[in-house]
Amino acid sequence: MDLFESLKMAGTTLLANKMRSALTMLGIIIGNASVIAMIGIGEGAQKFVEDQVNSLGPNILFVLPGSPEAQNRPVYSPQTLVLADAEAIASQVPSVEAVAPMLTASELISYQNRNVSASITGTTPDVLTVRSLDIARGRFLTELDLKRNESVIALGVELAERLFGDEDPLGKSLRLRNISLRVIGVMQEKGSSFGDNLDLSAYVPVTTMANKITGQISPYGLQVTFIALSAKNEDSMNAAQFQVENLLRLRHNITDEDDFTVRNQKDIMAVLGSITAALTLMLAAIAAISLVVGGIGIMNIMLVSVTERTQEIGLRKAIGAAENDILFQFIIEAVILSAAGGLIGTSIGISGVLLVSAFSPLEAGVSLGAIATAVSVSGGIGLFFGVFPARQAAKLDPIVALRSA
Amino acid sequence: MEVVHKPSPELHNSSQKVIVRLENISKVYNMGDVQVKALEDVSLIVEKGEYCAIMGPSGSGKSTAMNVIGCLDRPTTGRYYLDSVDVAGMPSNELATIRNQKLGFVFQQFHLLSQLTAQENVMLPMIYAGVKTGERRDRAAEALRRVGLGDRMKNKPNQLSGGQQQRVAIARSIVNHPVLLLADEPTGALDTKTTQEVLKIFGELNASGITVVMVTHEPEVASQTQRIVWFRDGKILHSHLKPEDLHQAVS
Repeated sequence: MDLFESLKMAGTTLLANKMRSALTMLGIIIGNASVIAMIGIGEGAQKFVEDQVNSLGPNILFVLPGSPEAQNRPVYSPQTLVLADAEAIASQVPSVEAVAPMLTASELISYQNRNVSASITGTTPDVLTVRSLDIARGRFLTELDLKRNESVIALGVELAERLFGDEDPLGKSLRLRNISLRVIGVMQEKGSSFGDNLDLSAYVPVTTMANKITGQISPYGLQVTFIALSAKNEDSMNAAQFQVENLLRLRHNITDEDDFTVRNQKDIMAVLGSITAALTLMLAAIAAISLVVGGIGIMNIMLVSVTERTQEIGLRKAIGAAENDILFQFIIEAVILSAAGGLIGTSIGISGVLLVSAFSPLEAGVSLGAIATAVSVSGGIGLFFGVFPARQAAKLDPIVALRSA
Repeated sequence: MEVVHKPSPELHNSSQKVIVRLENISKVYNMGDVQVKALEDVSLIVEKGEYCAIMGPSGSGKSTAMNVIGCLDRPTTGRYYLDSVDVAGMPSNELATIRNQKLGFVFQQFHLLSQLTAQENVMLPMIYAGVKTGERRDRAAEALRRVGLGDRMKNKPNQLSGGQQQRVAIARSIVNHPVLLLADEPTGALDTKTTQEVLKIFGELNASGITVVMVTHEPEVASQTQRIVWFRDGKILHSHLKPEDLHQAVS
């Protein structure tokens, strides 16, 4: 008996019991759908993290205060990272393209009767280059604003909207604590980065921020929260990191433990990437368990089916079916059930992934490899769990089988 | 696997071709510690073209004999030549081929597959014989016409009467041109009228040269055959009983 005949025969049998076949497939359908959905969403999450890291700006490095060890300590370390460090980096490190000292605080901004809590960053004009920002209307901070401690502010687009609505914000005065800030520009839309909505941020000169708003002057100079800088290109990132570290050690008279940490994009990507990869693996593993449970469901139904079809098996043997013919027939039925369930489940999984992409920021996608794996794995599960019932069927004694009424 | 066999003189009483030759067949079942002898030293010859009924009270061994003749069961001892092939010790796969090529079965319960049409049911033995689809369809149609069901080929078993279902089963049994047609109580589930219809078909098939062996417990059925083999207690009591002598033998 050839394969085509076996497939046709199995198809006829399965179609004759549509309800049962559908219910048998259900377990595999659910298992496959969840595996595909989990892998797809996981891949989407990984892409999302990648995009987030890239949205920080190209070839970006961060200099954070405190040693790498102190980053993990809940102890407050002395603030030694200052504006002068940023200026020194900008003037002395050749592989650095732009340097932006960042002094951040969350503050309540008011215009007339509207209050909005926003993340205020004191920085320099170079932040535009470092973080790939752009001004939409008006102008951004200038060196002159910095020198003069000007009380000017550039608003993120969403922040401007919340404060001013339809009004033109340019030239208007805002209140922050008890300081009046003049709006000089509105930023272009940028979106979120690591849960931080840049469109709800505002930028003021770093000098103004330190002298008038936060008022933090450390004994070392004008203290900053962190320094963001971009290397000239991707290849010079390692050089830039090395040079920045050396320069800061020199400036801070470091002899043993650094009092700062340099992080680059790749580090961040590697850490976050490994987290999402682990999460994806975990979700897929949980989903895979349901696939195995689906396979056991197939085995159950096939065993019931063997008992129920004893007479058919007896008859087939009487008219010339060899043990292998019967074995093959039942295995093929199981494989068809699980492979079909796999296909249906995969389609449902893909639909789910598309839905997630449509209604969430995750750009979830399913690779062909994932689909091929899911379908062949479910086919394999059918094979594996089909063998036992099929052997039971093949071993039936035709005389006993024919007589059971 | 032709076996050159020297026939025993007492069994060799005709020049016709021998289809079934049972020689000293015993069948013993082990039921726990107890041994049950279903057949004891049974020898039987059925020649080509015979129409023969196997009768006997229940437990007489007639069903076991039928299973052995049908290659569904192997004898414990003894030799069995079917169409001159020694089948007593064959492995089960080869027996399956023998059943497929040389034997046709008709059962009391018809044993048609409910999800298949009459024609597809008749095609079933040819699938295992490896016959091509087109030829299968033609031969199945021909077999169904032969049993008078040429107009019912696309019907499923539940759309057919009991008699019609049994005729489909007969068509299925002859479609591979067997050397021997075995019927196990073929009329047991039928009423008197359809019994006659079915027996008529068996008669016609036999007249066309097919050897028929039928197990039955109904004397009216057996009386339409040419020869009755009477079993009792696992042995053959009469091997050539004439149907007209049946009444006498039963008493």
